[in-house]
Amino acid sequence: MSIETRVVGKSLPRLDAAGKVTGTAVYAADFALPGMLHGKILRSREPHARLVRIDAGRALALPGVRAVITATDVLDVRYGGGLKDETVFARDRVRYVGQPVAAVAATTREAAEAALAAIDVVYEPLPAVLDLEAALAPGAPLIHEAWQTYTAIPILHREGNVCQRARIVVGDMERGFAEADRVFEHEFRTAMVHQGYTEPRAAVAAWDSAGQVTVWSNTQLPFEIQNTLAEILALPPSKIRVIVPGIGGGFGGKLRVGVEHFAALLARRTGRPVKVVTTSEEELTAAYPRQGTRVELKTGVTRDGRITAKEGRIWFDTGAFAGSGPGVASVATLVLAGPYRIPNLLLEGYAVYTNKTNCGSFRAPSGPQSNFAVESQMDMIADALGLDPLDFRLKNIVREGDEGPTGQVLEAVGLEECLRRAADAIGWRDRRPAPGRGKGLACGWWTTTGGSSGVYVKINPDGSVAMNTGAAEIGTAALTGAAQVLAEELGVDLADISVVSADTFATPFDFGAQGSRTAFAVGNACRAAVADLRRQLFGLAAAQLGVDAEALTLRDKAVVADGKRIALAELARLSQASGGGLIAHGTFIAPPTPYDAKRVEAHVYPAFHSPSFHAHAVDLSVDRETGEVTVHRYVVAQDVGFAMNPRYIEGQIEGGVAQGLGQALSEEIVYENGRVLNPNLTDYKMPTSLDLPRVESILVEHPSLVGPYGAKGVGEPPNIEPPAAVANAVAAATGVRITTLPITAEKIALALRGEGPA
Amino acid sequence: MSRLALSLRINGVTHDVLTEPHRTLLDVLRDDLGLTGTKENCLEAECGVCTILLDGRAVNSCILLAAQCQGREIVTIEGLARAGVFVPLQQAFVDHGAVQCGYCIPGMILAAQAYLDECPEPTDDGIREALAGNLCRCTGYQKITDAVTAAARGLARARTTQ
Ligand code: FES
Ligand code: FES
Repeated sequence: MSIETRVVGKSLPRLDAAGKVTGTAVYAADFALPGMLHGKILRSREPHARLVRIDAGRALALPGVRAVITATDVLDVRYGGGLKDETVFARDRVRYVGQPVAAVAATTREAAEAALAAIDVVYEPLPAVLDLEAALAPGAPLIHEAWQTYTAIPILHREGNVCQRARIVVGDMERGFAEADRVFEHEFRTAMVHQGYTEPRAAVAAWDSAGQVTVWSNTQLPFEIQNTLAEILALPPSKIRVIVPGIGGGFGGKLRVGVEHFAALLARRTGRPVKVVTTSEEELTAAYPRQGTRVELKTGVTRDGRITAKEGRIWFDTGAFAGSGPGVASVATLVLAGPYRIPNLLLEGYAVYTNKTNCGSFRAPSGPQSNFAVESQMDMIADALGLDPLDFRLKNIVREGDEGPTGQVLEAVGLEECLRRAADAIGWRDRRPAPGRGKGLACGWWTTTGGSSGVYVKINPDGSVAMNTGAAEIGTAALTGAAQVLAEELGVDLADISVVSADTFATPFDFGAQGSRTAFAVGNACRAAVADLRRQLFGLAAAQLGVDAEALTLRDKAVVADGKRIALAELARLSQASGGGLIAHGTFIAPPTPYDAKRVEAHVYPAFHSPSFHAHAVDLSVDRETGEVTVHRYVVAQDVGFAMNPRYIEGQIEGGVAQGLGQALSEEIVYENGRVLNPNLTDYKMPTSLDLPRVESILVEHPSLVGPYGAKGVGEPPNIEPPAAVANAVAAATGVRITTLPITAEKIALALRGEGPA
Repeated sequence: MSRLALSLRINGVTHDVLTEPHRTLLDVLRDDLGLTGTKENCLEAECGVCTILLDGRAVNSCILLAAQCQGREIVTIEGLARAGVFVPLQQAFVDHGAVQCGYCIPGMILAAQAYLDECPEPTDDGIREALAGNLCRCTGYQKITDAVTAAARGLARARTTQ
């Protein structure tokens, strides 16, 4: 497909690059106000205990300490997404190591830290529920005895320690398995992992004399933070202004309230601005990491490789509070189906409470865990049936017009092209090119998250254009992509556009920088704004030029017709003189994706909007002595619908693969007896420049019907397939199948020696 | 607490600061001098976002006491571009799409600068080695490596045409 474009679809440099390479871009962690105090959080040292007493007397007497607050100083409010189970501080019981118990404000960070050490807390330990098995065991202690009293969206299916069970049921499982020649059952596990953004979570809060609080935060979702703070502070949201300066990465870890509420509460108590920034230890013990999981899959297949039925269950260890668990458990069922045509399905996703940190969302939440299981099993089945894994996939993948697992009709399905091109690029027919060397494939599908977006677009009297959006730029260049759409439609250059973003008082609403939706939704809102501006411009220009409005078009920063032209700048000046200036409010919401409601139970995410399809292929070697993996080549073929800015899409793919390889090979938040053993960046091993291969990106374009110019969401998908692709390649290289993440050298070496569980 | 009077030479300008002996250069740069282009994260020399140049060498300012920097030449990211004109590395980072969230980028550019100053004809592996102490969670390092290579080529061309 080729569309003639000037701006969109070109690899132009991002609009915010200059500030980022010169150090002038201000991030939340850089933000400061005169007279500002520093806040710190005292966190539980026990996984589960009665909170007997907190004594802050000594701390308050220390120099520089201005306030200590605990549960008794805040309203007894439970907040959260679909399930309101979280509190600002533990009140009478702590439920994980890292749970906030008190917060202090002091004139320096050192003084605040000294105050933390001087607060005396008496715990009376209770039996802790340390993993999924313990939480699900009959008679297991309840993490939340009062779970039934919590407010939750009614659709959730909850029972004791299970805070959500989503289900997809299709066809007749008995018949499906009866039709199979072979039935395969496997179990997989994945570790808890952290988003690893380089900027810690940070917020500065300041109250004014009118009782309004302003919070500068590096959140991905300023409007959600505004609403959560309104609940916590019992204020109308109109009293809460959230502004997002720069964000040093988010990847889903900065969706929910993290430090903003502490900053706001401490600032109110002290009457001074307060800044709170997390430490690495807090990040790795008390943030919103990706849930560890257990997955069970049972798949029926005919001798010639047709899948007849699949039963799958995934349990998410969501920690002591639901966090994103209920949503993630729902989304997981769609990933468990895989991008395959399977007539009979029973898929369940569970979010389970344990005495661990509250888990959240991490780039393609549920994607890597579910896909690791599904795509590992595809290879295991292919091997057992003597089929080539690529051929086995091609026999079962969804194609144009097929139904998704919940009955949605699939359109713009580029999966076959992705698989074939990734396989070709990696040299698939030579899967085991040398001893200890092997290639692996994995494929999948993902959603472009819905939610609404609004933009105000203003044409300035100098002809430049201001794009005002409620979405935050979290690094993906999504707002540059949206600005490219705007420039294209308005007939101006990208450099003419300036972006104002993410201020809940000044910018229009946006559902937020999450779910691969920003460029897609904000881009479409820009198109709507241009439709409106066109009417305004053409009305003015028609009168000026003495031509019919119908004859007018936008080109080269001007309105033109029949050889006549009038510059946008001129029209903006005219409008300012007569009509208050040229401004338009453009909005977008993705249309609902129809699905078969009879196929789902307790499901909060029953269909994938404008789904993307992708295939990854990897070529790697395994050292038979040490088990160490060296990745030689990595290929991604991703159906992006339309590449709004190819270079930054490659950047998304390269970065997503990097994070995916970390999860595949090395990353794990290791818990022992409810305590994290590796809460620092020395022991939590994220890939460095030495650990990563070059990634070859193949951009496949099967245009979506809804996205701007046919674009689909691109940010999350590259993070999904790396663990499965690596597991499959390791198996091809060594004959050893590792079914747990991460696939460490130690695990491989032990398995090669025939020791230890794979 | 007793304070030290230090005279720090930063980006070619001398700054007189009064600070406690335990404070790091990073603290002084960010909190006292407002030079927040130098970033902070782990504070234990693991991530590299706080990288600055000390007498031309890339070091983590989070574990460097300000008192140790007296009389030495400090360069931060704010000291590279002159009158709004990028140095070649900055331009290459922009041109190659090497910048995403940007939080690692000041440290990354300075680490690369120190490396190129020492090794004007770098290899891909050499660049990756030189940047191994600088964590980037957004880019997968590929476009960063490409940008450094391109900057080195540009500098080499400039040298031969001089
Ligand atoms: S903040 Fe200095 S190395 Fe991480
Ligand atoms: S660009 Fe975000 S950490 Fe490197």
